[in-house]
Amino acid sequence: MPSTTASIRLDRISKSFSLGRKTIAAVNDVDLVIGTGEFVSFIGPSGCGKSTILRMVAALEDPTAGHVTIGDMPPSDLARRHRLGVAFQDHALLPWLTVRKNIELPFRIANRPVDDRYVDHLLDLVGLSDFDRARPKQLSGGMRQRASIARALVLQPDVLLLDEPFGALDQVTRRHLNIELQRIWSESKITTVLITHSVDEALFLSDRVVVLSGRPGRIVKVVPVPFGRPRTPTVMRDAVFHQLSDDLTESLEGYVGTAEA
Amino acid sequence: MTKPSRLASTVYGLVGLSLFIGIWQLVGAYELAGLTWPRFTTVISYLAEPSRWGLFSRALQATLWAMGVGYIVGGIAGFSLAVLSAVFQPLRPMTDTTSAVIHAIPAIAIAPLLIILLGSSVAPAALSALNVFFIMYVSTVAGLSATTPAHRDVFRVLGSSRFQQLCRLELPNALSSIVTGLRLAAPASMIGAIIGEWFGAPRGVGLLIVSAMQNFQIPLLWSAIVLATLTSAAAYGLFGLLERVIHSRFS
Repeated sequence: MPSTTASIRLDRISKSFSLGRKTIAAVNDVDLVIGTGEFVSFIGPSGCGKSTILRMVAALEDPTAGHVTIGDMPPSDLARRHRLGVAFQDHALLPWLTVRKNIELPFRIANRPVDDRYVDHLLDLVGLSDFDRARPKQLSGGMRQRASIARALVLQPDVLLLDEPFGALDQVTRRHLNIELQRIWSESKITTVLITHSVDEALFLSDRVVVLSGRPGRIVKVVPVPFGRPRTPTVMRDAVFHQLSDDLTESLEGYVGTAEA
Repeated sequence: MTKPSRLASTVYGLVGLSLFIGIWQLVGAYELAGLTWPRFTTVISYLAEPSRWGLFSRALQATLWAMGVGYIVGGIAGFSLAVLSAVFQPLRPMTDTTSAVIHAIPAIAIAPLLIILLGSSVAPAALSALNVFFIMYVSTVAGLSATTPAHRDVFRVLGSSRFQQLCRLELPNALSSIVTGLRLAAPASMIGAIIGEWFGAPRGVGLLIVSAMQNFQIPLLWSAIVLATLTSAAAYGLFGLLERVIHSRFS
């Protein structure tokens, strides 16, 4: 299948929620273009609205002001055409289906014939070939997230949206899955948005890292990541990696105190 | 608190049952509750007498028939209304209120009405259906609306239609709750059938209870009650097994 991956344009988007009589601004005037085939991470203190940004790209929320366009379409059009891939911190696999059936689900929702060979390929890619007939509850947390990422990729979507997919995993598993995700991503080079609170995860995986302020989330800085691809874990021992990691951590810490203000 | 092992819970269950039967037997033997309380053994030997089996089986058949019809009709009605209100959300308050009102009418009050409307031979099945209807409506509605936000988000992002979400997410997700409803509805359908028969059905366990009471046939009265209890418990247990299978598969 030809790659149809697209760019994402966040055109001065803001989002506020009403909570009783109060209005709470979650995202404030975020303006960014994510290039075709680019991997961009958003990091920021908790409650800064980074998940809200992803939800607006996923057509799960509408911006209060501004527009999101993917390619030249609004996200809701892409969702309707089954061209969005998403994985959340909650794996959201269906407990009554096997791993294989879960990964096939997007085909069924799109009313397309299941491409068995591609499902086999993805199962292999995420290392679940031997577990294709297992049910989610029989898998470890890391395996469930891999299945969830395979499900996000199965229709070869235009964009891949990842909302802290490894947020609930232990450090060792998380690092391991970061390495795998980098390998999987290098194969397809899909335009990807990753929401994370891990600076090292963002640096290892991304082409650019966007730092958000505390609520309401604004872009504080956008840091390009200079490493080539494919990346191996040795990148994480590089002096430049450490320098960038320290800088990013520092720019985040400046906002930890203000997040709840 | 740890869950007792299967063996332990079986033993506790048997101890409880033996205590119950033992006290029953003692109260009967020493006539502590007067002449209307027979010994356990008296009731069992009355039930076990082959010459009475025809009577009991005719009564039980009629009651089971009413239960079965009520169970199916009430179950389908409750389930369908719940699915309908899930698909057409604006209908929901209306269907909720309607089924709550139907449930609020005491069976004993509506029974005479049903007999006048439908005739005494249909009334047991109709009352049984009303009892089952509410339980199935509530359990289906609860199951359909118990999907997690993350699951609904995934379906939305994947571009699912409302119908696909119902078939691929909400209904399979509701199955556990629906099967629990089916189990709870089994004794409820029996209660409905017996109350319906109470008001002059041509035959049935309910009729047996009324006529035994009016003719002071104490062992027959108790036998009919034991029969009803056993039937109800058997149906409950059968659906309990089904429930266990479904729960391990769907959650």
